[in-house]
Amino acid sequence: MNVLIIEDEKGLADELEIFLNKYNYVCEVCFNGITASEKIAVNLYDFILIDLGLPDYDGLELLKEAKKNNPEAICIILTARAEVFDRIKGLDLGADDYLPKPFSLLELQSRMQAITRRKFGLKQNLVDLGGFVINLTDRTINYQDVEVSTITKKEFDLVAYMLLHKNRTLTRSQLSEHIWGSIINDDYDSNYIDAHIKNIRKKLNVHAPPDWLETVRGLGYKIKVNT
Amino acid sequence: MKLQTKLTLFNTLSKLVIATIFVLLLPVLIKAINQHYSDSRVLKQKAKLLQIIKTQGIKSYIQPGETQAGYYTPLKEDYVSFHLDTTTEDIDTIQNEKRILQGDTIDYRILSHTFKADNKKYLLEIATSLDAINETTGPFQSIAFAVLVGMILLTILADQLYSNYVLRPLGQIIKTKLISHKFPNFGSYKKVETSTSDFEYLDISIHKMIKTIENTFQKEREFISNASHELMTPISILQSKIENMFEQEDIADELKARLLEMLRILNRLKSITKTLLLISQIENEQFLKEDSIPLRQLMQEIYDEISIRLQDKNISYTTDIPESLLLIHVNKFLLFNLFFNLINNAIKYNHEDGEIKVVASRENNTWVVRIIDSGIGISAEDLPFIFNRFKKLRASLKQDSFGLGLPIVQSIAAFHEIRIEVQSEKEKGSIFKLIMPDFLIKI
Repeated sequence: MNVLIIEDEKGLADELEIFLNKYNYVCEVCFNGITASEKIAVNLYDFILIDLGLPDYDGLELLKEAKKNNPEAICIILTARAEVFDRIKGLDLGADDYLPKPFSLLELQSRMQAITRRKFGLKQNLVDLGGFVINLTDRTINYQDVEVSTITKKEFDLVAYMLLHKNRTLTRSQLSEHIWGSIINDDYDSNYIDAHIKNIRKKLNVHAPPDWLETVRGLGYKIKVNT
Repeated sequence: MKLQTKLTLFNTLSKLVIATIFVLLLPVLIKAINQHYSDSRVLKQKAKLLQIIKTQGIKSYIQPGETQAGYYTPLKEDYVSFHLDTTTEDIDTIQNEKRILQGDTIDYRILSHTFKADNKKYLLEIATSLDAINETTGPFQSIAFAVLVGMILLTILADQLYSNYVLRPLGQIIKTKLISHKFPNFGSYKKVETSTSDFEYLDISIHKMIKTIENTFQKEREFISNASHELMTPISILQSKIENMFEQEDIADELKARLLEMLRILNRLKSITKTLLLISQIENEQFLKEDSIPLRQLMQEIYDEISIRLQDKNISYTTDIPESLLLIHVNKFLLFNLFFNLINNAIKYNHEDGEIKVVASRENNTWVVRIIDSGIGISAEDLPFIFNRFKKLRASLKQDSFGLGLPIVQSIAAFHEIRIEVQSEKEKGSIFKLIMPDFLIKI
């Protein structure tokens, strides 16, 4: 899939490119609005990531152009201007999602996947993990056709997020940012992820030991999938 | 007191004082006028009499051989008398004097004048009774008083109507420009109709001031927006760089642990920046208050997020909230954060196996939500400072907090006009009492 990254901060644009390349996206990077506008007019993209705070161009104007020339493209706004008004304006103009800076690269990728799934109505998203069938569409976990019904919404969120980033270690702060990121509170170091993982293991263990859910000592957790 | 009331009161009082002075002065004035009038009358009579005597001689009034003659009206209000005068001095006076006439003592205004006729000297007295004069004073005074009172009432009424008319734009300016406006959202400018230039000036001046305030707010908003951009972008770059490094296969675990530590510290920086921005955005009223949500549902959503923390400490959590209690005109995101932080604190500063209760009840005609915990409590000397930013109390040092939890709570509460009262006892627990204004509640 083709991604156009419009971001004036070179440091960030580079990291976005490195990261997305790893997930097999083909990236083009623009550091200013004028080149971006030219590229949008000529090429077709699957994803357009727009930074609203460009020095030479109104990001929302760019969004309008993108929607006109690339109606099929999925537009995600990346901005540090996390004000409500901007948010409403961005979504009104047809942005598919909105990610306030600073965001985790993992979060960006999970949003991109979620929109793709929503937009193209992908076939039933079933993943088999050691006998556990994870259904990402219905958000259920089954073991030999029996639903593990005790799994809560938060716990499923964690499993799905780790599954999306399978075979890579996710830190506690990355996980807690994903499930509690929108809550503004006074903690900077949440260890409640451990409690969640403990519960998930306990609930799955009733059926079979979930060996695929690994603890990476001192770092975090990962879901291991043999490919 | 309102300007119009003051003006009416002053008008009424000043008119009453003037009228009273006038009515009190009236007898003196009437007396003076009457005296002047009777004096000129007797002087005219004198001139007439002297004229008659000159042409017809004294004998038409006084018989030869007689020394005196007098003429009275039947009730003796007036008289004229002639006396043969033997003294040498000339008299020409007008005076008040008493005279006894046929047994009655009467006050007169008397003109005395000596003249010569037929080589004899006579004294002429023309008198008019003062009683007649005094009698008119009383009725005069009461008529004047009645007329004056009537006139005063009329002018007060007229003043009232006019001041009402002329002051109406002022009332309108106060009502539409000052009272109804909610700081800092002033809405659009509507001119107040008035022909009084002062009010026009006032209206325009207020409008200019509002514009200035609005501009200042706009600048502040832009500043916050820019500041957040400036802070968030570097954090974002750092975070992506560390995340990408963390992914690299060839990095030793020891280095990974250090990268992880960096990510954690970066997260702390991120939380502080986000929280400070949130507080300043709330204080600049940059959130809408258009959501409604049942309090029970809100608390359930918070419970879903926070239940893991309750389990972790084995804390019992109960709520007692009427099902029909609906929060209206609120910002759901903010209220969620308000209750989340309060309950999160109740967990953080609680003992293992402790308890937390959330109770909504009606008290003195207002709805009150209490968050009651069985935690470590707050000491009396710390209590006044718990809402201060970055204030870390001794108890919180053990916790991973940076001292912005309660400041967020306070900003959100103030934004919704919710009052917070805290009661706490060391080692017994704390009660955070939220006093909800009526307009936030529907039941």
